[in-house]
Amino acid sequence: MSLIQLDKLMKHYPMGDTMVRALDGVDLSIKSGEFVSITGHSGSGKSTLMHLLGCLDRPTSGRYMLDGQLVSHLSDRSLAQVRNRKIGFVFQTFNLIQRTSAIDNVAVPLFYGRQSNVGEKSRKALERVGLGPRATHKPSELSGGERQRVAIARAIVNEPKIILADEPTGNLDTRTGKQIMDIFHELHRAGVTVILVTHEMDVAVQAERVIRMRDGNIIDDRRVDDSTRSELLSGVMLPAVEQDPGPDRSPPPIAKPVGM
Amino acid sequence: MFFLRVCLMSFRSLFVHPLRTILATLGVIFGVAAVVAAMAILEGMSSRILGGFESLGSNKIFVMPNIERRSGRMVGSFDSLDLDDADAIGRCNAVARAMPQISNPGALVKFRSKSTNADVSGVTEVHADMNNQEMQDGEFISAANVQGSASVVVLGSKIKEELFGGRPAIDEKIKITGIRGSRTFTVIGVFAPKGNVGRSDADRQICVPITTAMDKLYGTDSVHVILAEARSPTDADIDQAKEEIAQTLRRRHKIRAGQQDDFQVQSQKDMVTQFSQVTGILKVVFYSIAGISLFVGGIGIMNIMLVAVTERTREIGVRMAMGAQRSDVLKQFLIEASVVSFFGGTIGVIVGWGLANAIETVTRLFETTTTMTSVVIALTMATTTGVISGIYPAWKASRLDPVEALRYE
Ligand SMILES: Nc1ncnc2c1ncn2[C@@H]1O[C@H](COP(=O)(O)OP(=O)(O)OP(=O)(O)O)[C@@H](O)[C@H]1O
Ligand SMILES: [Mg+2]
Repeated sequence: MSLIQLDKLMKHYPMGDTMVRALDGVDLSIKSGEFVSITGHSGSGKSTLMHLLGCLDRPTSGRYMLDGQLVSHLSDRSLAQVRNRKIGFVFQTFNLIQRTSAIDNVAVPLFYGRQSNVGEKSRKALERVGLGPRATHKPSELSGGERQRVAIARAIVNEPKIILADEPTGNLDTRTGKQIMDIFHELHRAGVTVILVTHEMDVAVQAERVIRMRDGNIIDDRRVDDSTRSELLSGVMLPAVEQDPGPDRSPPPIAKPVGM
Repeated sequence: MFFLRVCLMSFRSLFVHPLRTILATLGVIFGVAAVVAAMAILEGMSSRILGGFESLGSNKIFVMPNIERRSGRMVGSFDSLDLDDADAIGRCNAVARAMPQISNPGALVKFRSKSTNADVSGVTEVHADMNNQEMQDGEFISAANVQGSASVVVLGSKIKEELFGGRPAIDEKIKITGIRGSRTFTVIGVFAPKGNVGRSDADRQICVPITTAMDKLYGTDSVHVILAEARSPTDADIDQAKEEIAQTLRRRHKIRAGQQDDFQVQSQKDMVTQFSQVTGILKVVFYSIAGISLFVGGIGIMNIMLVAVTERTREIGVRMAMGAQRSDVLKQFLIEASVVSFFGGTIGVIVGWGLANAIETVTRLFETTTTMTSVVIALTMATTTGVISGIYPAWKASRLDPVEALRYE
């Protein structure tokens, strides 16, 4: 059974008289323990998809089953609980709380989960990303890579099933980006489901599976092996998908107005 | 646990922009300072003045000439009461005893080369007993002394100390300067130390027979006050005594019905009531200042909290992404608002306490007393102000959409 199951997921934003179809009927299934990356041009709906996957938002229509629970129509309260227990977020801009130390940042999800043993759990999470010695540093006293590691420690401290990372290496140089990717690989090996948004193809192909989006639709979804890797890296558009959009998929319009 | 951690977090965030915090809490600081200072001053005044009254015993009735202050001038007769009035009052059925008195503060007294200022009271033999004054040495003025206008004096303990030091004072001769010049008196007694009575220091008082004071020191036929005692401190007895005194004096002074009295009769209870009215007005003034300051303070807190919510929009988004409930965000900002106000309140307590002490030092009128109760009341008011002014900003924060908050630049 899949951990994540999306059925005709739509997210529309009203823009004046028109509708922006940020997601336009996405069907997707992700199994527990998969390492998936999502790529696509700017505005193709990657972040919107991430927000829905992360239960930060509700779809305009469609169904989202997470871990056997229909979450697409839960209350704010229940969504917050799902985020707290099942999901860890990693952002491009780290989004640490500047005023407090690394370890206090890591403790935030435990705090809202009303958990005990906060200090010990946070320290363990920091050690897992190799930042044990930096526990009392403020974010401003850390390098970009270190900040992102703190953010990852924060994402995993509650031992969530899913890590959602939106451009986690976007603000980092190649070498530091690689260190961050190593941590994701490690988490993946430990059984965590990792979903990674990136527009860098060489980062995307490190996952087991690459999903490509355009105009709110998934236009390509494939396992990464030696042959697909080189295809993806060469940047050649894959005609196979565009010829066969799949049974449920409507043609991808560009921010086409919908009647409302 | 959640509450404590949020308190700690909020406390830390106060010092991120220390100046801003101080400015935002200025209103609360003033409000609380006003409350604390007002309560300290009122408390001090009350214990000083009411304490003085109480030490006199509450069956006392004061009979004074009717003097009023009219457009800045004192109007009325200063000399409407005399010794015969006092005798007549003493004979009233409802009056246990009565004593005429004249008082002159700050008279010069001399013993050989030493001199000092004393409050001279001309009294009768009942004075020591009426005012519960114990003798340390010698005897108090006798009825014979009063009858014979004897030049004898009883010294307050401080005056004795200043003029004689450790040496015995009894039978020594001292000089007292009145309007009629300097007269020689023989010391016949020394009071035991007593402390303050009403507004005056009892230990700086010296007592001479009232007849002597009137004839030899001040050359007057009238007395300043007649102190009477009702038979008991019950309201009925006091009212009856007041009425009888008034009737007696009207008859003696030939005051017809409808005519203005040339005297006033006040029981100690009346004076306490008057004093309470004065402190009541002061209370209203102080608490209005405090109320207005706290209201303005509340607006200051609301403002800084709205700024904080805007500044931390993204942080709120992150917290929600990490699983913060809307109610958690609401609580967090409410707690922060009250911590900010509490902090301002604490500064206000210190300022108010300092203010009260400054007033005490400058005016030297009374000791101020900052009580724990006033501190608790002031801090509770500050915290409540914080919670109330935090409601709207906190509600705003809790209603943020997580996705939009996360996108916020
Ligand atoms: N709150 C919103 N209101 C209106 N339109 C929105 C809103 N959020 C997203 N959109 C639109 O939805 C589309 C998809 O946005 P999304 O942020 O998901 O893109 P993305 O793939 O993450 O792009 P990028 O790589 O630049 O981050 C865009 O056209 C965007 O303008
Ligand atoms: Mg994006």
